[in-house]
Amino acid sequence: MKVLVPVKRVVDANVKVRVKSDGTGMDLANVKMAVNPFCEIGIEEAVRLKEADIATEVIAVSVGASQCKEQLRTCLALGADRAILVETDEELEPLAIAKVLEAIYEQERPEIVIFGKQSIDSDNGQTGQMFAALTGIAQGTFASELRITDGKAEVVREIDGGLQTVLLSLPVAISTDLRLNTPRYASLPNIMKAKKKPMDVTSPGDLGVDVGARTTVLNVAPPPERAAGIKVESVDELVDKLRHEAKVIE
Amino acid sequence: MGIAIEEENHYGFRLSDELILLRDQIRRFMREEVKPIEDTLPHDAIGCGREDRIRLRAMAEAMGLTRLTVPEEYGGNPVSAMARAVIAEESSKCRLGGYAPALGAFGGGPPNIIWGGTPDQIERYGIPCVEGKMRAFVAITEPTGGSDPRNNISTRAERDGDEWVLNGRKMWITGAEGADFGILFARTRDGTAEAPPEITAFIVEPTFFGINFNEIKVIRALSPYEIILENCRVPVGNVLGTVGQGFGVAQSWLVDARIPYAAGCIGMAQEALDMACGWVKQRPTRDGMLADKQAIQWMIADSEVELRAARMLVYDAASKVDAGQSGKVDASICKLYGTETAGRVVDRAIQMFGGMGVAQEMPLERWYRELRVKRIGEGPSEVHRMVIARDKLRNTNGGVYFS
Repeated sequence: MKVLVPVKRVVDANVKVRVKSDGTGMDLANVKMAVNPFCEIGIEEAVRLKEADIATEVIAVSVGASQCKEQLRTCLALGADRAILVETDEELEPLAIAKVLEAIYEQERPEIVIFGKQSIDSDNGQTGQMFAALTGIAQGTFASELRITDGKAEVVREIDGGLQTVLLSLPVAISTDLRLNTPRYASLPNIMKAKKKPMDVTSPGDLGVDVGARTTVLNVAPPPERAAGIKVESVDELVDKLRHEAKVIE
Repeated sequence: MGIAIEEENHYGFRLSDELILLRDQIRRFMREEVKPIEDTLPHDAIGCGREDRIRLRAMAEAMGLTRLTVPEEYGGNPVSAMARAVIAEESSKCRLGGYAPALGAFGGGPPNIIWGGTPDQIERYGIPCVEGKMRAFVAITEPTGGSDPRNNISTRAERDGDEWVLNGRKMWITGAEGADFGILFARTRDGTAEAPPEITAFIVEPTFFGINFNEIKVIRALSPYEIILENCRVPVGNVLGTVGQGFGVAQSWLVDARIPYAAGCIGMAQEALDMACGWVKQRPTRDGMLADKQAIQWMIADSEVELRAARMLVYDAASKVDAGQSGKVDASICKLYGTETAGRVVDRAIQMFGGMGVAQEMPLERWYRELRVKRIGEGPSEVHRMVIARDKLRNTNGGVYFS
């Protein structure tokens, strides 16, 4: 059983990001990049499936610039068997990535595809669902537990107000929530081994996929800064201000 | 298909992808595993609880980051000097970084000189250290000095039947109390005009007759010890290596240890500088933030430049050792510059923090005290300057315009 894990290169979660002064996007110069944390959970889950003798091969795939190889290398060090980079310098939207992954899916025919539920940079949270729609396979999103038995995937989903358990036929697209697992540390021997694992490079053109943008980013702005608070002298003054300035009480 | 680095037009020194990945793993380990434990410890703690230590060691074991200086045939995971430097720098970025980096999670194993011993010695003393069942100290320095042991050591060892009888004193011995054994150097022959002095290495156990330990309270929380030998009797089988050739075994071990020693100091100082940068950006003054002041900016710039230079010297020495060349002078250079730079940088960080800089709830005052020791331990700055100057003078004869 093959498991495919799409991973995205994003700004490291511990970095405080800045918006470019001209409002065209984020300032990524010299910023530490990492595997999207939700995708890392996906890799961990796939590697655990392999360790449990359920999966036979774990393939990490990334769509983006050449530098994504660094993140794919991390996935190989964490236990993926091989990696595919679909290299492009285009600005990518979820639909374009879903289409590319559909093409990879047709090539590889994995039985399980594990997405991160969203990337921590653009926070769209769409790729997994779009992919499931394009391929027509079952989807179990926001998974906090995953069990594979008898050709079925039992997925516990984190939904508003609780948990929902669904039973899905394979092949299946899963998206990971935070509580699915805690990713391991890559061991030094595995880091060294990762160097020798295969990494194929292809492109959207080779796969026959048009990744052209359908949307245009007009402006990126940081959230407005909170104004400084004030000190009031008395309760009466506070009530007065709440009533007449903030207008939150009658 | 170029690799990322070429596309960034960066032709200078760069760590390998593997070491960058390793560094990132350790940074996460420090953030997610070590700091939460440290936050519960007293500010001057010298270690964490047993349960935490066992858990951290198990995780480090799974990461393949224990027993880094133990040869493979004895169950070790030996790594390059460069990897040791990276691990040392990152794992020192914590409150206990000076003397228990990453709360002692990584590394481990006996002083490497034990592997020069007999199969019996390796089995009795070396292997139990690898398995974490024993701990050892090394005793070279004496009240007469530590930088020129060949001539300074006055502890005497006289052969008496099947035993050697040791008399003398050792000073400033780290980790002596509570250790299961130690490797102790004593004089077995004085130097004469015809024959040089001879020093021999002995494996001593604290249970041997005639050995006693006295704690020496110092500027840091972790005390070194004085060891008193009064007719201490050591079995003949506990001579490590050949009689009279004690320093042959110790030399490269001492030199190689200086590189991660410097790297660890740089780690603490880098963390201090990074902390200070966070602080000065949020500390308002009458007109603007502290970070807007030139006086502060110069301290930050000088510190960053010096730390980068120090790190490059560490990498330079490590890469030389990894290339199989003698890194003796290079190790002296990075030890001297790394420890002195780190002291200056932490001093500036404290200045930028003001009162908070010397508060015990912050790690800065602790690093400040401990970094003072680092300019003395592993050979004081002045001895390394001598080594560097002698080497330079020996190999340099006036350049192009004065030869």
